[in-house]
Order: sequence, then C-alpha cells, then structure tokens
Amino acid sequence: MGMLCGLLALGLGLVVSAGWDLMIGDGAAWRELAESQRQRRLHVAPKRGGVYDRNGSALAVSVEVPSVSLDAVELLRGVPSQQVPVVARQAANAIAAVLGIDAAQVERRILAKHRFAWLKRQISALEADKIRALSADAPEDRRIHGLVVEGEGRRYYPRRELAGPLLGFVAPDGEGKDGLEYALNDDLKGNAEQLKGLRDRSGRLLFSDGIEDDRAFAGHNLYLTIDQGIQYVAEHELQAAARTFEATGGSVVVVNPNTGEILALASFPTFNPNDYTESQPEQRRDRAMSDVFEPGSTMKMFTVAAGLTSGVITPTQKMYCEKGVMQIDNVTIRDTHPSEWLTIPQILAVSSNICAAKIGLGMGESKLYEAFRRFGFGQESGLPFAGEAPGTLRPRSRPWVQVETASAAFGQGIGVTNMQMAMAAAAIANGGELMEPLLVRKVSTSAGEVVREVSPHVRRRVIPKDVARAVSEMLVAVTEGDGTGTEAVVDGYRVAGKTGTAQKTDPKTGRYSIDKYIASFVGFVPAEKPIVAIAVTIDEPMVEHAGGAVAAPIFRHVAQMALKLAGLTPKTSDHTDVAVLARTPDPANIAYEALREAQGKKPAVQEVLATGAVSPGKVRIPNLTGVPARQAMKQMIEIGLTPHIAGSGLIVTQQPPPGSVVDAKSEVLLILEPAT
Amino acid sequence: MVDMPLLLAVVAILTLGLVNLYSATSVYIDDESRARLADIYVTQIYWIVVGAMLAILVAAVDYRHYERVAPVLYAGGMVSLGLVFILGRDIRGSSRWIQLGSFAFQPSEFMKIFLILMVAKFVHNDARTEPRSLVDLAPVALMILAPVTAVMAQPDLGTSLIYLLTALSMVAMMRIRVFSVLSLIGTGAVSLPLAWTFVMRDYQKHRITSFLNPEADKTGTGWHALQSQTAIGNGQFSGEGFMQGTQNQFGFLPEQYSDFPFAVFSEDWGFLGAVLLIGLYAFVCVWAIHVASQAKDRFGAALAVGVGAMLFWHAVFNIGMATGVLPVVGITLPLFSYGGSSVLTMLMGLGLLMNVSMRR
Repeated sequence: MGMLCGLLALGLGLVVSAGWDLMIGDGAAWRELAESQRQRRLHVAPKRGGVYDRNGSALAVSVEVPSVSLDAVELLRGVPSQQVPVVARQAANAIAAVLGIDAAQVERRILAKHRFAWLKRQISALEADKIRALSADAPEDRRIHGLVVEGEGRRYYPRRELAGPLLGFVAPDGEGKDGLEYALNDDLKGNAEQLKGLRDRSGRLLFSDGIEDDRAFAGHNLYLTIDQGIQYVAEHELQAAARTFEATGGSVVVVNPNTGEILALASFPTFNPNDYTESQPEQRRDRAMSDVFEPGSTMKMFTVAAGLTSGVITPTQKMYCEKGVMQIDNVTIRDTHPSEWLTIPQILAVSSNICAAKIGLGMGESKLYEAFRRFGFGQESGLPFAGEAPGTLRPRSRPWVQVETASAAFGQGIGVTNMQMAMAAAAIANGGELMEPLLVRKVSTSAGEVVREVSPHVRRRVIPKDVARAVSEMLVAVTEGDGTGTEAVVDGYRVAGKTGTAQKTDPKTGRYSIDKYIASFVGFVPAEKPIVAIAVTIDEPMVEHAGGAVAAPIFRHVAQMALKLAGLTPKTSDHTDVAVLARTPDPANIAYEALREAQGKKPAVQEVLATGAVSPGKVRIPNLTGVPARQAMKQMIEIGLTPHIAGSGLIVTQQPPPGSVVDAKSEVLLILEPAT
Repeated sequence: MVDMPLLLAVVAILTLGLVNLYSATSVYIDDESRARLADIYVTQIYWIVVGAMLAILVAAVDYRHYERVAPVLYAGGMVSLGLVFILGRDIRGSSRWIQLGSFAFQPSEFMKIFLILMVAKFVHNDARTEPRSLVDLAPVALMILAPVTAVMAQPDLGTSLIYLLTALSMVAMMRIRVFSVLSLIGTGAVSLPLAWTFVMRDYQKHRITSFLNPEADKTGTGWHALQSQTAIGNGQFSGEGFMQGTQNQFGFLPEQYSDFPFAVFSEDWGFLGAVLLIGLYAFVCVWAIHVASQAKDRFGAALAVGVGAMLFWHAVFNIGMATGVLPVVGITLPLFSYGGSSVLTMLMGLGLLMNVSMRR
C-alpha cells in the first residue's frame, strides 16, 4: 500500500509539474509560438483605396488579381524523408508547367521548406484554374498540398496616361511610389496594423466576429479636386504643342482662383502607370511641382502688382523705357521692342524689361524680395506631394545686388515652379488673396465615411483688392491689340494674362543659351470675374519659342474647356464672324468629343470634313498651300494631325498631298518658302 | 449505501469531459469540419448513458460472485483478442476493432476489466504472508503476459503498457522477495533493447525517438506533441476561456477529442483548470486505495486497487504525453476522451469500485 501511495504521489507530481512548466514556467514562450502559428502568413494586404476626380470618376482603383503561393511544409507533410527529393521534383515540374516558370527554382523553394513563398504573382484566371486542378480539386492521392491561390490587390488606372505623373504608381510590394500614391500612401494603403489576421492550419484567413467586414481595413478613398475633363484637355493640348514645337517637356496647372482647388495638373512627358516598368524617371516626374525654371516676363505682373502696392508706381503714370538699352553696373539690359514713354499697361503689353527693372530698383531689394515671397515664390506650396521644389529667390543665399534686383523684376536669376506661378496668378485673379492649393478635396473610408474634408483656406492677403483689379485690367491689354498674348483669347471672353519667353541657362557654360527657351503663359479668365487661372510652361520648344505662340494657344483651349464645364456662355463679341464660327470646328468641341470617345461613349457628333465623310479615326488632309505657318499648324493640330515644318514663310508643298485620307495623329510634313 | 464522494467525483469528471468535448469539436475552421465533428459529443452522451447503466448493473451484483466467473471472462477476452486478428478492422496500420452489427468495439478495452478480475482472483487466493519467489509469481506473470503480448501484436503499445502497469500495481500488494524484484528489473533491462530490435514496429520506435527529440520532426509524430504543448502553454494561468482556445479552434491541435482532450481543456481553462482536473483524478485514485484498505476481503481490495491503478496510469500517461513528458502512445484520458469502448470500460471499472465500496 505504501508503495502504491508513493507511485501515486510520484505520478501526480509528474503531471502537475509538467503542467506548471508549460503553462506558468514557459507559458509566455508557448503562447508566442501559438500566436506565430496563427498569424504566420499575414501577407494579404488590405485593399488599397481608390483615387477619384472631383466628379467621382475613377482615376486609380484596386482590383483583386489571384496570386499563387507555396507552403512547402504543408506540401511535404507526411512524406518520408527519403522520398522528399522525388516528391519535390514531381511537384515542381507540375507547378512549373502550369505557371510557365522555372522548375528548378520551384524545386529549390520546396526544398527550402519555408511556410510561405510566392510562386507567381498576378496569375491569369486560366492559370488559377489549373493550379486548383493540381491542388484542391485533385483526387486526394494525387493532390499537391500547400498551394494557395488568393486574391491580391492590383492597381489599375482606367484612364491610362491621364494624370500619370500626378498619380504615380504602386510597386508590387503594395507601396505607392511617386505622385499621390506615394505622398498619401498611408491613407490609401489601409490599416495593416488592425489586420491581426488569424489563420487556421491550412492557412485560411479567419476573422473573429465583428471584424469580418474587410472594408474595415481597406484604404481610404481620395477624391481629388482634379476635373478629369479639364485634365484631359490640358494633357491633350500640352502633348500636341510639345510634339508640334518639339519641346522636351512642359506643364499646365489649372486652378480655381476663388478656392485654390487644382482642377488640372498636366505634365509632359507622361507615362501610363499601368505599365510603369516601361517608363523612365523623367516621365514620372510631375514637372509642375518638381521643375524649377526662370520665369522671365510672366514675373512682371507680380513686379507691377508689388510696385503698385508699395506706391512706387501709380496705375496712370508713364515710365521712360530708355529706348531699349539700359546699363546697370556694367550689365546691359535690352528690350525687344525699344520704347521711350510707356504707361504701366503698355509696359506689360510690350513686356519691357527695362521698365520692370526700374520698378524693381525703385522698390529696392528687400521690398521686392518680400513681395515675391508674399506671392508664394521661394517656398513650398504645402501640397501633399513628395518632391515639390520650393524654388529659389536668392540663388546665392544673400540679398540681391543691384543688377540682380533688376533681373529679378523681369523674372531672371530666380527660380520658380509652375505651381507657384498658377497660385500667384490666382491671387491677382481673386482680388489679392494667396490661396492654399488643394489637390485632395475629400478623404473617405471605403464605407463612405468622411475621414477629412478640405475647405478653401486663405494663406494671406498679398495685395489690396484695388491693386488686384487694376493689374487684372492691365493684363487684359496683353491679350488685346498689339499685345504678346493675343493667341490666348477665348472668343467672347476678356482674358487677363502675361506671356513669357525666357532663355535657359546652359548648365555647361553658366550663360544664357542661345537656342534653349522656356515659353510660358500665365493668366486667368474671365478677367472681370475669373473662374479659372492657368499657368502653361513649355520647356525647350525648338520650332518656335515665343510664349505667345507656343503657350498661349494651350491656355485658350484649356480655358475654353473650363468655361464650358463651368456652364458659362460667351458674350457675343462685336468682331466675331458667325459664318466663320460655323465653319471652323470649335477646338473645345473637338477635345470634348475626343474625351467622350476616350471614355468609350459614342461621340455626339461625327466629325465630317468639308470634302466628304471619312471613316472614324481617319482624317482628310486639307489644302494649306499659301497659308502662313502658324495658321497651318493650328489647323493641322485642330483636326488631330501632327505637323512638321521645314523652312519659313508660306506653305508651298505638303506631304502627304492635300485630300489624302490618313490616320488621325499622323505626321504631315509642311515645306515653306518665303512669300515673294 | 451508495458511495457519494466517489459518485460525485465521477459525475464531475464526466461533466467536465462533456463540456470539454463540446469545445473540442466546435472548431472555428469551416462549416465542413464543424458538421463532421458536430455529432461527436452527442454520441458520447449516448455512450455515457449506456456505460452508467452497465456500471449500475456491475455494482448491483455482489462483487464476490465475480471471483468465480473471472476465469471465464478472462478466457472470453483472450478469445476476442484473438478474433481481432481474423475479423479486425484496420485503422491507421493496426487492427484493434471488431465490427459487431453496426457497432465497432475494441476487445482490448474490455480485457482491462477481465485482467483486473483475474489478477484480483490470484491475489485473493494466494493468502500467504511470507515474501513470494519468482516461481510463486509465475502463474500471474503468464496471466499478465498473455494479453500484453496479444495486444502488442495488434500492435497497440499503449494498451499493453496499461495492462502491464495496472496488473503490476495489483501484484505490488503482495510481498515479494527482494531478489525477485531485482531479477525482474534485470530481466526488464535486458529485454527492453531486445524488444526494441525484434518486437516493436517502426511507427512505435518512431514515436519514441520523436518523443526524445520532438524538434527534429516537427511535421510528423513530434508535431502532435508539439501542438499539444503549444495549446497547453497557450492556456497559461487562467486559460483563454470556454471555446476560446485558439490552437484548438483554428485546427492546429490534432486528435483533439481522442488523444489530446487535456490540451483543449488546459487551453480553455489554464493551469487552474488543469489542477482541478488532475485533483479530481487524484481524488478517485486515493479514494480507491481508501476503499481497498477497508475492503472485506483481499479480492475486493485487489479490485479497488486495480480500478484505481487503471485510472491512474491512463491519466498519467495521457496527461504526460499531452504535456510532452511521456511519448505519444495513444492512451485515452479516462471519461474525457471520445470513444465508446473506452467510456464503457472506465464506467464498468468504476462500477466495480463502487461495488466494493458499497460492501465494505
């Protein structure tokens, strides 16, 4: 009996101490092991939020695409060790044959015995079916275990190139790269932290009750201020101009001056985020925000506004423009149109460097610098966008010397971005307040709950209202009569704006290049009550470099679209020939139809040219003999052809010949000779 | 008079066992698995009802009558063990079952009771007080080794161990010469390596080697032990709560309702629950010794010790293998594990104990 009691005590001690060791002694370690088993494969990323334009059209969405992964431990479970190589080889061959991948690599993955390895990401539906036939659907004795097919988010950009550099792209690891995808990655990506996914032995994702709705982890949706229609026209026109004038780059910023909402942000060259691997970094850069350039003459509108504000000049005074040549500290400043006495509006209209310099010098270095700062130059605009350049007002990090002050007054020796230009112009347009630029209107959860909503915000008052009004009126003169910006005029509206044609600094010599320019146009419309401010910059146009010729037409087309979308109707202007209007296709209409076509809808009106109908997607080349270059190019671009020009003067020969029917967007060679 | 403490302890274990079986079979994996497991605890209730009736029957007849029928029952048990080889149903490489109509039963389970009766009869009839020699023990040794060998050949290492240990616990009631004990130990020391080489099957050896080094074989046999330890360790002091044990709920725990109900119980109720359960088993064992010490005759005392020992070795081996201190040999946890033959055997054994207790 004593022996039995001893045995009993021994057995009792054994099991209790074993229990104590497991649950209390090493309990934490075992619990950790248990948790690691349950949460082993937490790789299913929550669904990424979508990006939509201001009207709710999708610009970027995530769709589930199946991917196949391997649990090698599961695959080899129960296989005797001597048979492992054979089983691994057979399984690898079968899998590799289905997926079209290297069998040796699959075999290595199996033999590595990891619990998780991707075999192939983003497989086709057919491949997924075949994989299921090998695994889940196969008879038990021939089944390959451990193959897991599950949906994985794939980023899809339904509008392809549209707003490519603005949107950026998403790398296969689910992290946004470039553009808004990068800048707002935390919003879009979703809450992986909350996704303590529980998994059972076979790797299925299990949620405890209450969190089964996986929308709880999904990323937030972004609603941009961008208007897809204006964005499309801006990109279309920018691209056409860049091709026509053989420019290396360019950007268009369209902003609502009253709210600071960015309506379009076009950049050229662009890329298709669906195929981002085929793009170069310079295509993915958003030039409106990342590229710093010397603005040139467009800066004069801010110099004038600053001069009026500080009282150095008055709206009605005249200034002496030194007959086109002025000497400052051994540096000679010249005007392209030498003048003597000019009113302030005339200074802007003929774009006098000398008078602008005199206003700047009259204000003095610190006042001019401070005025430019107040317009937002030399500092980041505060947009949620990585890689935004602040620009440089004082490139040598010290106050300007006299000649630098003079240059800065007409936009040389300082660096700005096109975004800053647009916002500063918007400040003049809206009566003198610098708005905070808005790109994201609303962020909401996938269930539709608003996370945050952005409302217009005034950064500061830059100039008094009366000065803003006065400058606006002066800028209308630029687009009227003999002004440099007549190409920007939208029929039926008064356009305020300023052209710019800045020589670029050659990085090799440090001097101004003789053939590299930046052509720009900055303005707003309608001048008396602006609804849109637009900044256009074309980098290194080769064929023609005057801002009025290169950039102003883009302004016109984009403005037309914006006005149309805003529901404004043009005031009947005195000199518009109704017959001409009827015959020439409205460029805004063409762009609108093209947009509708791009959206997959039937165009409302089939484009029919004068000499008989052509099939859709084809155009008939008009006869342009004897027409001046600029007008010919305009006409060609309007019907969707890409002209190339050789010589100067009037057109004498066309290739292909007039009347031929060619594909839209074909190239046409125009040979010109001087008029006799 | 019904032995109330014993009855209450057994009812408590049965209740905890059913509750635990419910948790073990309501896994959160998927509808398919849930449906497959849904009937298990209901079936177990049927078996417990049948077993309880059998136990009452067993307890109703004075145990002294069993002394006379013991050899018959023993012989019948041996015959049915032999039949297993002819009619046996093969489950996972060993034949342990006989199909009888729509019921499959395990003769080796019932043989446990018959062996206890037979050994008790031997102890009863050998009333000498001087220490016994090996020759004196030869008949009982044969009596024990016959079913041990038969079951080992099925092969079922766990059950043969239970036979051996239960019977030896009963034999330990008798005084034995020191020399005999030493020579028995010596024989064991020699025969174990021989058994390893010639008698044991590969899967049995595998179980033991993987027990000695479970980390080496995480996907096979050792995996079971490791998962069981993980689940128990995950319970920690107060457990994850009823039906909240994640290792079980998410299907990581293998054989959770047959071999490892202790792991499910410990994960749900923690160290507190485990100690309570072990305490209940310990109480029944101590109570059995208490009953034995007050029994009217040596047969009754031996029966009480035998039933207590059977319960004790089952519990120690099952909990030992669940906690990883003993190899996985497929021994059930009394009144906790799912299985008709196991439940009937245990309840009949406890009926015997009740019988002896009622007639002290």
